[in-house]
Amino acid sequence: MAKTIMIVDDSASMRQVVGIALKGAGYEVIEAQDGKDALSKLTGVKIHLIVSDINMPVMDGIAFVKAVKQLDQYKFTPIIMLTTEMEPEKKMAAKEAGAKAWVTKPFQPPILLAAIAKLVLP
Amino acid sequence: MAAKAKKDDGILHLSIKDDMTIYNAQSLKETLLGYCHTGTQELQLDLSAVNEIDSAGLQLLLLLKAEAQKRAFTLRLLRHSEAVIEVFELLKLGMYFGDPIVIPANWKKS
Amino acid sequence: MSDINPALETFSQEVDELLSAMEEALLGLEGMPDDADCINSIFRAMHTIKGSSGLFGFDDVVAFAHEAETVLDRVRNGERAIDAELIAVLLACKDHTAQLIQHALFNEDEALPEVLQQQSLDLITRLTGQSATAGMPTTQEEKADHFEVDVNTTDSSDNWVISLAFKQNALRNGMDPLSFIRYLQTLGKIIEVIITMPTLPRIEEMNPEDCYLNFKIAFNSSVDKKTIEDVFEFAEDDCVITILPPHSRQEHYLKLLADLPEDQVKRLGEMLVEIGALTEKEVSIILHEQHNEEHADKRPLGEILVAKNILQQPVIEQALKKQESVKQKVNKESNYIRVDAAKLGYLINLVGELVISGAAMRLMVDKHGLSDVDDVASTMSHLVEDIRDTALQLRMVQIGETFTRFQRVVHDVSKELGKQIQLQITGGEAELDKTVVEKINDPLTHLVRNSLDHGIETPAVRLRAGKPEKGTIQLNAYHDSGRIVIQISDDGQGLDPDKIVAKAIAKGLVKPDQILSKHEIYNLIFEPGLSTKEEASNLSGRGVGMDVVRRNIEALRGNVSVDSELGQGTTVTIHLPLTLAIIDGFMVEAQKERYIIPLSMVEECVEMSSDEWQIDDIQHYVNLRGQVLPYLRLGDFFHKNKKHTHTQRESLVVVRFGDAKAGFVVDELHGENQTVIKPLGKLFENLNGIGGATVLGSGDVALILDVQGLIQHAKKRVNPALALSSMA
Repeated sequence: MAKTIMIVDDSASMRQVVGIALKGAGYEVIEAQDGKDALSKLTGVKIHLIVSDINMPVMDGIAFVKAVKQLDQYKFTPIIMLTTEMEPEKKMAAKEAGAKAWVTKPFQPPILLAAIAKLVLP
Repeated sequence: MAAKAKKDDGILHLSIKDDMTIYNAQSLKETLLGYCHTGTQELQLDLSAVNEIDSAGLQLLLLLKAEAQKRAFTLRLLRHSEAVIEVFELLKLGMYFGDPIVIPANWKKS
Repeated sequence: MSDINPALETFSQEVDELLSAMEEALLGLEGMPDDADCINSIFRAMHTIKGSSGLFGFDDVVAFAHEAETVLDRVRNGERAIDAELIAVLLACKDHTAQLIQHALFNEDEALPEVLQQQSLDLITRLTGQSATAGMPTTQEEKADHFEVDVNTTDSSDNWVISLAFKQNALRNGMDPLSFIRYLQTLGKIIEVIITMPTLPRIEEMNPEDCYLNFKIAFNSSVDKKTIEDVFEFAEDDCVITILPPHSRQEHYLKLLADLPEDQVKRLGEMLVEIGALTEKEVSIILHEQHNEEHADKRPLGEILVAKNILQQPVIEQALKKQESVKQKVNKESNYIRVDAAKLGYLINLVGELVISGAAMRLMVDKHGLSDVDDVASTMSHLVEDIRDTALQLRMVQIGETFTRFQRVVHDVSKELGKQIQLQITGGEAELDKTVVEKINDPLTHLVRNSLDHGIETPAVRLRAGKPEKGTIQLNAYHDSGRIVIQISDDGQGLDPDKIVAKAIAKGLVKPDQILSKHEIYNLIFEPGLSTKEEASNLSGRGVGMDVVRRNIEALRGNVSVDSELGQGTTVTIHLPLTLAIIDGFMVEAQKERYIIPLSMVEECVEMSSDEWQIDDIQHYVNLRGQVLPYLRLGDFFHKNKKHTHTQRESLVVVRFGDAKAGFVVDELHGENQTVIKPLGKLFENLNGIGGATVLGSGDVALILDVQGLIQHAKKRVNPALALSSMA
């Protein structure tokens, strides 16, 4: 049974490239363009892992993680945050909120795929 | 209810009708605990409907096995699903539980 | 990569949107420079462009956007004010970014044209106020796996042992142990898994969302430790991970350790990280743990590593050995232990006693003819000898330090006297007993001051004499036949023999008609009451100096002599024993009395046969191969009043002191003997011809001969005229 991954990023091109890479690796992909959009899609569908950017309009990554941790059906879902080296404090905040994995931006798809595979193999 | 049970000559037969993951670990534990009472001679778990099992689910199986030894009843795992077999293979657990694992002909690694 | 094309289109559109939004926001900022929304959207534009460009591998865009993003982040955090100039630069950056992306999109795999490169650099300079260096920050460091895949690692018994102790909240955090183990399986073969649940409570209290699982995994793979550690990277907060390398890896580590350069001392952890046996993460965790240990129980790093099963003992031992050898190599000087001199003295005394009782044992063995004990006894004798030498070695110090101290003296004194003098030191590495060094300091000081004061002339005098303006004093030391020789020489005016003789006659030290060799004359300066200078200076006193110098040196069983050339300079030579405690002696017997002659002074032993040697019994000399050798019958010398019969065959022991020689006639030769010198009491201090005593193995006392004194005595009898001066 294929595993499902949600990618949350305000950049459409980012979602698209990551989406292609993930599908190529054998995952199902659900895209969302910000935290709020993502939360609206977390209704009943089974998600095995969430990849989320931090810097997003409307609802940023940290707020989104906090919200996910409140959802009974999703609170234990592993979350990979996309961080930048410039913002160590944001990375800490994301960890506090419950996102224990991270990938530093900018990255090329194989890096993200390797990180995802450690948490959920396709 | 995630599990369905029937009683037959002191042998309890239980089919787990759901995933065995952290999301339902709490209720699953309550269910399983409920069958670990005095008078139980054998507990059969049908795992054929377990689509997904994670560490929390595995932990419960290990716990149940230990409990069975403590209370001197037999725990028998039956009809392992693909997901269960995959985990047992990964961790070389077949021997520990000691139940014959029937690998379906069309089984392939998911 | 054709399926990427639609993504590139999206990217292109997105960039257009982001850059327009950025432009709009920048223009908006001109009116309201503090508008947080505007600043945020500018930041996000650069941030997103950087992220997406990275995805496509547009490194030039990433590098440029990174700089812009950095500056914008500072603006966002209020660390940098936004003004019209910055807005202008950012607008230019926006245009430049568009150009860079156009280039990246349509000229795939082509290098960035120089114009654009230069533009990038210029803009970065304007942005940051610092000149930029070409090139981009490395986004992902290359993880070079320098370990070659070893086919042997497929051996099933040779596995990594990975221990995972998951913490309570691991599952809640989405860190499913099974996921990591599954991923691990992609890197190699899982051989065995042992699952334990050591903290599992009773089933009623068990919380199924808590994690109780501990794993021990035997894992066969040729990847390196860092790669394995990285598998569990995300679990680091939720899991205690230890990775024990396989045995084959050990040998690899040992080899790498051996190959480590030895140029600097590294800490154990650094060395182990360098060879890949340990990861930096492991080191920081262990160090943290060590830091938290109670002070008294602080364990060394290596011990913790073994105890925690992170690394095998042999690797750590090898690393420590390596560290030690590097340490020794790099910093020889720091490898000293300070020891209380009194303790060392006590040790040497004990060794002395040991030598005596060793000799006693030897004696007993010989006496009772215990042939089976003989081997044991001789082994022990050798050991005792080694211990003696080593113990004495402990107290040996280089004379260099003593010499160097005179640099200051020379500097100060020459200034005071208005002379130009340099000190040259050679042979500073020659070693001698610390007790000797301590006692030689005063005589040396005196001699050096003498050279400074009386030896070296003033610059004017020197120039007139055709010498270099700057005078030279040399301190030299070397070993010679078990003794140390110290020389103090100067290129000064030298000693004037006539003046010395005149003074000696005036003091009644020599008779006016006495004929003296040059050598004898010079050595008169060691006689009491002689000072060559008419007026004593405050430096070297009033002529009480040289005789005191000689007394001090003789007290050390040494001797001193002087040689000089008028107008050319003076050399004072001191001979000293290396140690005062134990000597190698040569035991002889005369008239049933045993004597010890320091072995280093024994030249040869010959039979005292009247046919071969022309023995002059009255003058007491023999013709030894054409050389006139004064001799002394030890028996007669020490027991003058007894009548002696020389029925048995006698031996002649030829001794040398400096360049004087004499023969001692004895009844029997007993051979070499380790001699522990026991000083004679005050009562016997002035005993003629005796330098000390030693206790023999048998408990008997043997006298140690004062060879110097005896040679003098022997010579005196040959030619009384020479009795005045000490021998050379």
